[in-house]
Amino acid sequence: MCMGDSASIIYYRWFQRGKAFISSIAVVIRVLMSKLIRYSPWLAHFNTGACNGCDIEVLASITPIYDPERYGVKLSPSVRHGDILIVTGVVTKKAAERLRRLYEQMPGVKYVVAVGACAYDGGVFKGSYSISGGAGKVIPVDAYVPGCPPRPEEILRALLILLNRERVKESERH
Amino acid sequence: MSGTNNIEDALSSYIIGRDTVKPNRPRFHIDAGNLKSAIALLKQCLGDEALYLSNIIGVDKVAEGVIELNYFIHVVPLGNTIVIRVTVPRDKPQVSSLIDVIPGALSGECEAYDLLGVEFIGNRYLRRGFFVPVDVASRGVFPLRKDAKV
Repeated sequence: MCMGDSASIIYYRWFQRGKAFISSIAVVIRVLMSKLIRYSPWLAHFNTGACNGCDIEVLASITPIYDPERYGVKLSPSVRHGDILIVTGVVTKKAAERLRRLYEQMPGVKYVVAVGACAYDGGVFKGSYSISGGAGKVIPVDAYVPGCPPRPEEILRALLILLNRERVKESERH
Repeated sequence: MSGTNNIEDALSSYIIGRDTVKPNRPRFHIDAGNLKSAIALLKQCLGDEALYLSNIIGVDKVAEGVIELNYFIHVVPLGNTIVIRVTVPRDKPQVSSLIDVIPGALSGECEAYDLLGVEFIGNRYLRRGFFVPVDVASRGVFPLRKDAKV
């Protein structure tokens, strides 16, 4: 073994250790972030082709009547500040690439909640030539809120269940 | 309704038929070749800011071999909407564009072209894929035609 080989082995080990260190820091940051997000999740809302029914319910759920700010839930002005992406409506082929781009623009720890029957699997638009399907076909979805449209309480409850801030009965777990 | 009667009087030389969609919404049938001059005349009579073209609705009538175009025009001083209907043949759907007279017609014309294949002569912004997904548009299919296979 020449000197060059041993030096390269040492550099390789340092590189591996550095990589492991950085990944462990990333995990710690991720855990911390998820804990922070749990108490102040900011929402980003995107309509991918909804009839506006679900949008009205999402907007209703952030009004003072339901007072989501008691849970730290706020609507973020930009998707780049958002922690939870709320998708309403069937994902049309045109909207699919925008949805994918928005998801990629969201920072770090992020969740996606699909609201309504259309965002689940296409709803009444299922089988149409112009749709990609539900939100789950385009981006990973963490929670679905069923209904056409779902009630604001259900949307808020889904967010709290997602963030492990509401106890769920064993019978309701899927 | 007197305001609507004034419109009818102004367009009398162009109108080839008249009916009512619902109360307070008259529909005037006009020959496709006269559409642009009729709208220009209407604009001249009522003023530049009086007309708001809210929609261009195309209907494919396969049995009759025509495509109907319904122009929903809101007449602001009257607070009333009128419908102007023209029909174009299915095998050669062409009608003159209104964007010179009403620039807001652009989106409606692009939509009618993309979904039904009606060509608006004089509108150079027409293109496929405005609303229709690229995979359907690239096959040359107009999805709102009744015989379209999508």
